[in-house]
Order: sequence, then C-alpha cells, then structure tokens
Amino acid sequence: MKGAGRKAGRAGAQPVDSADAAAATVTAAAAAAAVGAAAAGPVPAGMSLACHGVTFSYEEGREAVPAVRDVGFELAAGGSLALLGASGAGKSTLLQLVRGLDEPEAGAVDLDGVEPGGEGYPALRREVGLVFQIPELQLFAPSAREDVAFGPRRLRWSEERVAEAVSAALELVGLPEDKFGDRHPYALSGGEQRRLALAGVLAMKPRLLLLDEPFVSLDPVTRRQLAEILGRLKDAGVTIILATHDVDLAWALCDEMLVLCDGVVAASGAWEHGAAATDLLVRNRLREPQLVELWRRLGRDLATAPRTAAEAAEALA
Amino acid sequence: MRPAIAQYYPGDSLMHRLDPRAKFVAVSALAVALFVRDSFVGLAVYAAAAALAYAISGVPVRWFWRAFKPLLWLVGLTFLAQVVFAPGIPFFSFWFIHLSWSGIELAAFLSLRLVVLVLAGSVLTLTTAPIALTDGLAWLGRPLRRIKVPTDELALMVTIALRFIPTLLVELDTIMRAQRARGADFRSGGLRERVRALVPVLIPLFVLSFRRADDLALAMEARCYRPGIVRTRLHPLRAGRADVLLLVVTAAVIAAGLLV
Repeated sequence: MKGAGRKAGRAGAQPVDSADAAAATVTAAAAAAAVGAAAAGPVPAGMSLACHGVTFSYEEGREAVPAVRDVGFELAAGGSLALLGASGAGKSTLLQLVRGLDEPEAGAVDLDGVEPGGEGYPALRREVGLVFQIPELQLFAPSAREDVAFGPRRLRWSEERVAEAVSAALELVGLPEDKFGDRHPYALSGGEQRRLALAGVLAMKPRLLLLDEPFVSLDPVTRRQLAEILGRLKDAGVTIILATHDVDLAWALCDEMLVLCDGVVAASGAWEHGAAATDLLVRNRLREPQLVELWRRLGRDLATAPRTAAEAAEALA
Repeated sequence: MRPAIAQYYPGDSLMHRLDPRAKFVAVSALAVALFVRDSFVGLAVYAAAAALAYAISGVPVRWFWRAFKPLLWLVGLTFLAQVVFAPGIPFFSFWFIHLSWSGIELAAFLSLRLVVLVLAGSVLTLTTAPIALTDGLAWLGRPLRRIKVPTDELALMVTIALRFIPTLLVELDTIMRAQRARGADFRSGGLRERVRALVPVLIPLFVLSFRRADDLALAMEARCYRPGIVRTRLHPLRAGRADVLLLVVTAAVIAAGLLV
C-alpha cells in the first residue's frame, strides 16, 4: 500500500503520461486507508449532507448584501457534487456555511442526518474538511510535516495518531514524508505547496471534503495530479463538493451538479446535457464540458458522453 | 470589519466637496483657537461652528459617536483628574479628594473642549477620503522639500498603507477562516494561548504582505515611478471660491470666539 503511494509521489516529477500510469496503480483502497475510511469500520466513509433553506448575507457598509438565499439540496454519503456558478454567485459562502465558519441566518445544514444542535453535531462538523482558494497561503510551519500536523493536533489526537495521519496524508498527495517531511513549505514549488495545503486538510480525515476552486493558477501537470488525488478520495467513498469554474474537471470528477446564480439555486441534480442545460451554463458564464461538446458534434447520444479523454478514446476506438 | 482609523463617509455635501487643504487648515486653526481661548462662551461659539459644519456634512450622528467612543475614556479621565485635583475652595474633602465648584467647572470645560475638538476633527476625516487628505498634506508640506524632507514620498507611503488596510483585513479574515477550518481557535484560552494561536495567522499574513510589496514595487517601476521628482497628478487639487469662503468664515468664527 505504502509502495503504491510512493509511486504516485514520484510521478509528480515525471511527464504526464507516466504520471497517469503510476496513478493507475494506486488503488482506491490505498486512498481509503490514507483518509482513514477503511479503519472507520462500520461507519460509512462519506458523510451525507442536506441543506434546507440556507440563507446568509454580508454586511457591507450600511446595507446587508445577500450572498446565498434559500439554498436547499441533498448529497448522499460518498456523493460528488460540482458547485458551479459565476464569480460572486455565492459558492465560497455556501462552502463556509457548510463547514460552519458562518452560521446561516435562516435554514440549516444537516450532517449525516443530524440537525445543528443535535447530538454529535460539533464532532461531525470537525469531520468536514474545507480547502480554501489558493490554500498554500495558509502554510506557516517551519516544515511540511509540522504544517500538516497542525489540524490533527487541534483535534487533540495522540502524537502517534497525528504522526500516522500526517504520513498518510503526505503520501496521498504525492509528497512522501521521507523526502518532503522536513522541507520548508516555502521552499516547495507552487504545485507542491498546493498539494501540501491539501494534505493539511486531509490529515484531519474529513468525511466530507469541500474544495473552493482548487485548480486555480496551477500548471497542467499539477492540475492532473490534483484531479487524480480527488478521484482517489472519491473512490474511497469521501463525499466531495467541488466549487469550480472548470467544467471539464467538474464533469470528470463529479456525478452531480448544482448551479448557483446570484445566491439562488438555478439547477441541481444529476448532470444533464442538452440545449437547455448548455444554455443555463452559458448564462452563468460557464460552458458545456468539452467532451460533451465533442459528443454533441459527433451526433452521439449525450447520455453516454465520456468523462475523460481515456473514456472517449475507448468509446471511439 | 471596518478600520477604526481613517473613517470616511462617502457623500456629496458641501463639506465633502471642499478642498482637503482648506479643510485641514480650517480645522487646525480652530483647534489652536480652542486651546487658546478658555471661556465657556468662546467654547460655545466654536462648538456651534463645529456642529454646524457637521450638520452640513450630512453624516449620521452615530458616525461621530463611533469615532468618539474610543476617546471616551480619555475624556472621562480628564474630567475625573480635574475634579479630584484641581485647586479651589473645597465643599467636600476626603483623603486626597477635594471637590470644589471651580474644579468641577474646570473639568467640565476641559472635557467639553476635547469633545469639540473631536467633533471638528471628525468633520475633516469623515468628509475627506484618506487619499485626498494625504494629497492635501503633501501639498501643504511642500516647503519642507527645501530642507530635504521627502514629503511626496512620505505621502505616497501613507497613501499605499491606507490603500492596503482594507486588502490586508480581507486577507487576515480569509487566513483566520482557513486556520479555523483546520481547527484553530482564536476565542478561548488564556492570553498566552491566544497569542500563540495567532502565529499561524501572522506568518502567512507577513509573507503575503512582503510578496505584495515586492510586486507593487516592480509594478511601480514598470510604470516609470521614480522617487525624488515632483509628480504631476491625474486629479490636481483645485481650491475654489467655496474654499476661500471656508477660510474666511473660519477666521471670523475664531475671531468671534476670542472676542466674546
């Protein structure tokens, strides 16, 4: 298991194609072990989520600016949701409300079927991981290991458990501890910093992972590595919400979608393709995924649209 | 989050439109007069003038209150110290406390003077954008260039600092949220723990600020900024009739306060 993880780690320095091959050897089980899902036993790996009428506004000078209004949706344990919408649509606000960094003015966020104030809710909240936009800005510790250990230590885990979680998280993001553990976070490359910041959240073993524009300003290789990491987490059963403008990666990774428009849900549910869906995406300053466009131009059944180039190649061969 | 300093209330009143230099000179002159004149009548004249200026500015009164609140303890302390220690014929004595009517009078006068001073000052800061104020001060400080005081550079530094306060506050908020999402707790624990809890916030904030400063310096150089030469302005300061009128009225008010 460890060997497989290290392989993926080394792939970071290699060209994209071999990175692909290396990543393919990492099984979902390895990722599951890294995020602690397998060890959780009878508890399902992912956390289910339900938002009811969530409303929140920011105070800006003299007036309150509504950020999200009456947002309701459900996401089953292990589900993956692409949170789409133009800039300022309320995506980041919604993620922070789900994590509990702000309290909604109205409505509620249920975690694993538990309402706020219900038994065990604070503990459930701690199992929600939130990766901020440009998360490498939060790095502060003198070594990669220490930075990743920050979150687990706040959870008051034993040092032994912290060390284990740190090691597994570093392995999962392809920064094996023996090589990167002692490195100074600011001495890492941009892509490595982004993955280190992700490890800092993954070390807390989130069962619901919220990501706010994780692909922004990354080079193609790092984007791909990150997408692979997220794919592994998804396969391991972690519930994922991915807020992004990148419809191609969203389509590749997520089974469901939710479009926010000016803080209101414009569409939610399984991805649908067709004139109406495309029109909705364009109105929200997005577009249909390229592989869906390819399928449309080829006159193929959009219900069978591929999610990755590999899937497309297979279908076309 | 709103910075306590440099509060500016955007608006389009007469007070807002006046030239920052004229406003600064008028308020400074009034402040000097306030400290020269020591009678309640004179104080009343200046208070009325400051209140009128505030009314013209159209800024809600609670904005003055917000600026004044942090200074409340200073006013209170001044009052108490004067009441307790001022000389006079005491009507009540206990240990080191000697209350006299003249002491109370003096305490009231000094406290009110502070209130009027803050009122006049807040008309200036509430109706003048910080950048306009710095520009005005840089202009007023020009003669100092003769003795090699880099006034324009100092003004630019202040302008940049003011410009980045809101940006830094937003970044501070984001970093604090990010660390809270990782389990950081800034609200509980003793002083020591709270200070320690700030380390994961301050380090990224410093790193970010230095990076930003670097970028800004590069961008300024790329746009041909050179220190030590007089820059032309996109919006040159223009004093008009209203500004002259302000100075005349202020002079009249000051004279009236001194003479009554």
